[in-house]
Amino acid sequence: MPDYKGIQGTAVQNFAADPPAPVTGQVWYNSTTGQFKYKDVIPTGAWATGGNLNTARQQLGGAGTQTAALNFGGYTNAPNPTALTGATESYNGTSWTELNDLNTARSVLTGVGATNTAALAFGGFTFVPVTNPVANNESWNGTSWTELNDLNTARQQPGGAGTNTAALAFGGEGPPPVGKTGATESWNGTSWTTTPATMNTARFAMGSCGATNTAALAFGGAEPAPLYADTEIYNGSTWTEVNNLNTARAYLSGAGTNTAALAYGGQIPPAKSALTETWNGTSWTELNDLNTARGGLAVVGPGTNTAALASGGATAGSSGATEEWNAPYSATEIITTT
Amino acid sequence: MTKTYQYCVAENWGKGFIDHNESSRITFKGLPGDVWQVPAYNKHANLWIQKVLGTPKTRDEAQAIVDGVITQAQATWDADNVANESAEQKVDRIGDRPVLITLEE
Repeated sequence: MPDYKGIQGTAVQNFAADPPAPVTGQVWYNSTTGQFKYKDVIPTGAWATGGNLNTARQQLGGAGTQTAALNFGGYTNAPNPTALTGATESYNGTSWTELNDLNTARSVLTGVGATNTAALAFGGFTFVPVTNPVANNESWNGTSWTELNDLNTARQQPGGAGTNTAALAFGGEGPPPVGKTGATESWNGTSWTTTPATMNTARFAMGSCGATNTAALAFGGAEPAPLYADTEIYNGSTWTEVNNLNTARAYLSGAGTNTAALAYGGQIPPAKSALTETWNGTSWTELNDLNTARGGLAVVGPGTNTAALASGGATAGSSGATEEWNAPYSATEIITTT
Repeated sequence: MTKTYQYCVAENWGKGFIDHNESSRITFKGLPGDVWQVPAYNKHANLWIQKVLGTPKTRDEAQAIVDGVITQAQATWDADNVANESAEQKVDRIGDRPVLITLEE
């Protein structure tokens, strides 16, 4: 019977501890644990836990990447009127660090930004004296937030895409008599301009993503009822309806671009959802679920469809849990011998 | 009756509590009260419970913990009111009222 050396031409290496950087396909023997192991690549993604937020919160804003992310604003577990927060935290891939707060504490806002040192926070609500959608717009420079020109239409839970110098805001829910809206506004670093294009389905509490203010994706959401699975793609001038999510839901998060996106979490009232779906530019495919179901995640989550971050959200109350999505990812497998 | 799931209580410490390997091999369900549902009679799930120093719970014990946390969250939700706020505005502000979850055997 041929052995490993006879097939591969080399013997299995013996290590006292797992090698620090094995290559895919490498087989070795760990003499300490007495196990044969090999390096594998799992093409489908999975969620792993990351560092917990210092301030548990839901309906927050997000920006950046999986290893350089920013979370800000939201609704905490504190009693009113202090539940609304402007707290800002930065993630380095391992843990969250508290930084300077938003100028206006608010919830159900939206954030965009390619890094955790340059982000934009717009929309949301404050109490004046009840839930009041606002048009506030703030820019983050890595150290502090600066108030800039407001949105033309005050709204809570709008969709978002782009960066802090080229952003897009769409949909959301305005104060009466505006209500749900499909209005779209483009940010050039100085001011917001309402575009001729409006979403085909006005809604709020959607997930969204997009790298620029000329290429965005919106999916799911509510009007506030029923729930939507509808997906729309923006090409810089018009919104076009494309294939739906597999499961309609609201208060979900999105990461990536309008050709490679990830949709995760959400609410299918009254339950929270752990569902994860990936968008390839044409259709959605279901992948491995979040380990903890939750809604009220950031509308635009940090990262891409292959390396995303889910932080905070609503479980029984506001959560501080973080999960990291990676697809594909490398895995060390143990070979079971008999 | 053969169990499909097993339960434990373990505090999520953050990075490394569940890694990608474990997540791909085990279907986790994180529940209120630091309760975790994982498959029963599963080698990987058993190893994970050992790793996180999870305290095993029967389904009924886990159900009682989850019920307690959600009942408290419901009371908090019911008491969280703002003058002149409509029911819809309240849901916009803090989301839907938490609902009880029935754990599977």
